[in-house]
Amino acid sequence: MYAHSSVQPMILCNVISRRRTPSRSGSRAEMMTAQEARLCGLLLREHFGEVVEKIGTHLLRSGAQNLRTIVNESGTPIDLVKKSLCVLMKHGACRFSIGRKGPGSPVEYQASCERILGILRYPRYIYTAKTLYSDTGELIIEELLQRGHMTMSSIVKMVADRLTHNMEEGRSIEYNEVVSTFSKLVETHFLQRCPPVSEVVPPVSTAPTVPGAPAAPVSTGPPTPESFSDCYLVPSVSLAGRGKRRRSGEDAVLDQGTTKKAKTDLQTHGDEGIYWQVNFERFHLHFRDQTIISAVASKLDQTSSEIVRTMLRMSEVTTTPSASCTQALSANEVFRSLPANYSISRPVLDQYLTLLVDDPMEFVGKTGDSGGGMYVVNLHKALTNLARATLESVVQEKFGSRSARIFRLLLRKRHLEQKQVEDFAMIPAKEAKDMLYTLMSENLVLLQELPKTPDHAPSRTFYLYTVNQLATARMLLQHCYKTVANLIDRRLFQTKESKRLLEKSQRIEAIMASLQASGAEPEQLTEVEEMISAPEKQQLESLRHHINKLDSAENQVDETIFLLKSYVASTARITR
Amino acid sequence: MADAKVKKECDPADAAMIENRIKELCIQFPQGITDHVIQNDMPHLEPTQRAMVINKLLSVGQLDLLRNSSGLLYRMKDAQSASKMKGSDNQEKLVYQIIEDAGNKGIWTRDMRFKSNLPLTEVNKILKNLESKKLIKAVKSVAASKKKVYMLYNVQPDRSVTGGAWYSDQDFESEFVEVLNQQCFKFLQSKAEVARDSKQSPMIQRNSSFATSHEVWKYICELGISKVDLSMEDIETILNTLIYDGKVEMTIIAAKEGTVGSVDGQMKLFRGVNPIIQPTGLVKTPCGLCPVFDECHEGGEISPSRCIYMTEWLNF
Repeated sequence: MYAHSSVQPMILCNVISRRRTPSRSGSRAEMMTAQEARLCGLLLREHFGEVVEKIGTHLLRSGAQNLRTIVNESGTPIDLVKKSLCVLMKHGACRFSIGRKGPGSPVEYQASCERILGILRYPRYIYTAKTLYSDTGELIIEELLQRGHMTMSSIVKMVADRLTHNMEEGRSIEYNEVVSTFSKLVETHFLQRCPPVSEVVPPVSTAPTVPGAPAAPVSTGPPTPESFSDCYLVPSVSLAGRGKRRRSGEDAVLDQGTTKKAKTDLQTHGDEGIYWQVNFERFHLHFRDQTIISAVASKLDQTSSEIVRTMLRMSEVTTTPSASCTQALSANEVFRSLPANYSISRPVLDQYLTLLVDDPMEFVGKTGDSGGGMYVVNLHKALTNLARATLESVVQEKFGSRSARIFRLLLRKRHLEQKQVEDFAMIPAKEAKDMLYTLMSENLVLLQELPKTPDHAPSRTFYLYTVNQLATARMLLQHCYKTVANLIDRRLFQTKESKRLLEKSQRIEAIMASLQASGAEPEQLTEVEEMISAPEKQQLESLRHHINKLDSAENQVDETIFLLKSYVASTARITR
Repeated sequence: MADAKVKKECDPADAAMIENRIKELCIQFPQGITDHVIQNDMPHLEPTQRAMVINKLLSVGQLDLLRNSSGLLYRMKDAQSASKMKGSDNQEKLVYQIIEDAGNKGIWTRDMRFKSNLPLTEVNKILKNLESKKLIKAVKSVAASKKKVYMLYNVQPDRSVTGGAWYSDQDFESEFVEVLNQQCFKFLQSKAEVARDSKQSPMIQRNSSFATSHEVWKYICELGISKVDLSMEDIETILNTLIYDGKVEMTIIAAKEGTVGSVDGQMKLFRGVNPIIQPTGLVKTPCGLCPVFDECHEGGEISPSRCIYMTEWLNF
C-alpha cells in the first residue's frame, strides 16, 4: 500500500499532514449513492437514535477514518462517538481495521452501507424463521437481530423467559427445547459465530481509548466468519432450568432482558466469549430459492416447483453462494430425495424434468446423460428472468399495457427502428411515437445512432431504439431506495403530527392498566375510557391503519430491492 | 430524276400498303416488332419511308412505341384503348402511359414530372383532365398521409399503399386489432385450461395445450368477426403481439411438407402462459407510479410529508 516505512520521518510527517485534511480519502469509501445514504440515515435514526445516525452517516460519507478524525469532523464529544461506534460494531454495521499507514497508526473505522440497509429486511428474516422453526426460532432470530451479538446462554435464557411469559399460567418451557432449536438453526447455517479478533477479547469494546496506541487487530482485511473452522460449532453449555415468568407485580423497570437480575449474572455456562450472529447470506440464499420456486409454480405447476425445491435443497450445501448454477444432480438422486407425499413414478419425473429443461425460461438445464440425466438449476438465468419480469411489470403498471408491449418487444429484439416497432407491436404510428418518447424521457429506452456516412448527417443515420436491462435494473433499484425513504419519512411525519393524541392515549392506557391491576370497579374504567372522545378514537384508528399500511408497503418494496440487487450482484460476478 | 419521280408517285399508295403490312406484322407478333423485322419483311423499303409510315401510325394512335434492350419495338395498340385516347393529345397520352406502367403501386406527381419532363402546371392540368374522364384515380398512401399516388382507375391498390388488412381508408384499425388479439388469446387460454384439467401425464398436457397457427387461423375465420380476408401471416403477426404482451409463448417444430399449415417444413406452435411473478412491490406504492417522482424532496414543494397521492392511497 504505502511504502512509507522506507521514508524519512520528517517527510512522513509532511505526508501525514497532507493526507489528513481531505476527509474523503477516496479509496476505501464504499460506493454509495445519495439515495442509499439518505435511507441509511433514516434507518439508523429509527433504530438507534440521532447520535448514532449522525456518526453513522458521517462514516458512510467519508469512508474509513480513525477516532480522532471522526470526533473533529462531526463535532460530537468523544464519549458519544465511542458509544455510537460500539453500537454500530455490535450490529456489524461498522468494522475496524488497521490504519492505512501501517501498524502503529490509529485504528480506522468503516461503516458498511449494505449492512445498514439490511435493517429493512429484519421483518422478513423473522418471518422466515417463524415459518421454518415456529415460535422458538422466531424469537431467537428476533432477539439476535435486536442485539447484534450474543452468547448462546443469554439468548436461550431470554427466549425461554419470553416464551414462558406468553404461555398460560403454570406452564413454562425447558431451556433444552430452546437449545435444540438453536442447534438446528446453527446446523442449517442460519446462525454463525462472530469471527473472533486476534486475542480473546469480547468484540463489544475494541475501540482503543487513546489514538496512537498500538492497535490490537492484525488482520489486513475484514475476516469472513466462514474462514474460521468453528464457525458452525455449537458449544457445549450447561444450561438447565426453565423459563421464568415475569410477574406483573414486579418492578416494571425490568425490560426485555437488557438488565439482568443480579443472581442470574453470576451464573456462567462455559461459553463466554463465543458470540453468535445472524448469517444474512444464508437467509438471502433462502429468499432467492423461494422466489425461484414460486416463479416455477406460477409458470408451470405445483409438481414442477416441488421438483425444483428438492433440487435446490439438495444443493444447499454443495453449491457456493456465488455460483451461477447449482451442482449437477442426477435424476436418480432427485427421484430418491423427493418428499414422500409427492409419489410420482420415475418416467413421470423424467417427463417433468424434460419439460423444465424445454421451458423458454430455462430454470433448469441438462448437462449430461449419466445417472439418468444430470440436471442443474440455472440460478443466474432465473435471476435474470425474474429481474426482467420485474422491469416489465413496472413499465406495465406505470405506463400501460401497450407501452409494456413495446418494452418487451425491445427487450426481445434488442435494436429496432421506429417503423419496425410500429409494425411488430401493431400500434398506430402516432401513438407508438408518443409512447416511445415517454419511455425515453424516463430513461427506460435508449436511442442508438448508427451513421451511414462519416458526416453523421441525420437524414442518413439509422436511429435504433434499445433497452439495456442491467442499467435499467440499477436505476429502478435507486428508485426503490428513494421510495422506501419516502415511506419512512411519511410515517415519521404522520406520527409526529399526531404526537399529542398518541401521548394522551398512552397515558389513558397506563391509567387503565393500573386501575385494572388494583381491581377497580367497572364504572371507574368506563369513566377513564370516556376521556378519549369518539372522533379522537377514530383518528387514532385511522392513524394506526396508515402506519400499518406504510410499514407493509416498505416490506413489499424491500422484496423488489432484494430481487434487483441479487440480479445486479449476480451479473457483476459473471462478468468479472 | 426518274427515280425520284417514281418514288414520289409511289408514296401515297405505297404508304397505305406499307401501313397495312406493318399492322399485319404487329398482329402476327403481338409482343411487338422491331425495325429489323420490318426490314426483313419489306427489304425494298427505305429507312426514311419506314420512319414516315411509323410516325404516321403513331400519331394516329394505332401503334405503340416501346423500347427494349435491343432497340425499338412497335406494338399494336388495342382498339379500345385507342378509342379512349381519341380526344387527348400527346402529352396526356404520355402521362397515361406512365401511370399505366406504374402498375398497382401508383406514381407520385413528382416522379411523374421526372419521367415526362413536363412542367408542374401541365402535369396537374393533365391529371385533372384524366381524373374527370375517369381514366385514373388518386389513392392516399398510408405511409405519408399528404402524399397522393395516381393509378389506373380499375387497378386495385397494392398492400404497401393501403397498409393491408389492418388499414381501412388510411386509418389503422386499432379496435379491430384489439378484438383479434383478445379472441386469439381466449382461444389459446381455453385450450391450455382444457389441457391442464385433463390430468394426464405432463408431456401430453403440454403438447395438447399447443395450437398451431393454422388452427388459430381457422378459428378466427370461422368466428367471422373480420370483414376482410385474413391470411395466416396476418394471424401470425397478431400472435406475435401476444408474445410481446407476455401472454403467449411460441415454439417451432419441424413438420412434414404437406401437412396442413406448414411453411417450409416448419410449424409454429403457440401456447398461453401465466406470468412468472405477481406485480412487483414497487408498483404497489404510490411512489412507484408517481409522475413527479424526480421532483420529490423532503422539504420541497413536493415532498413525502405533503404528498397528495400518498394521502389518497392511505385513505383508500
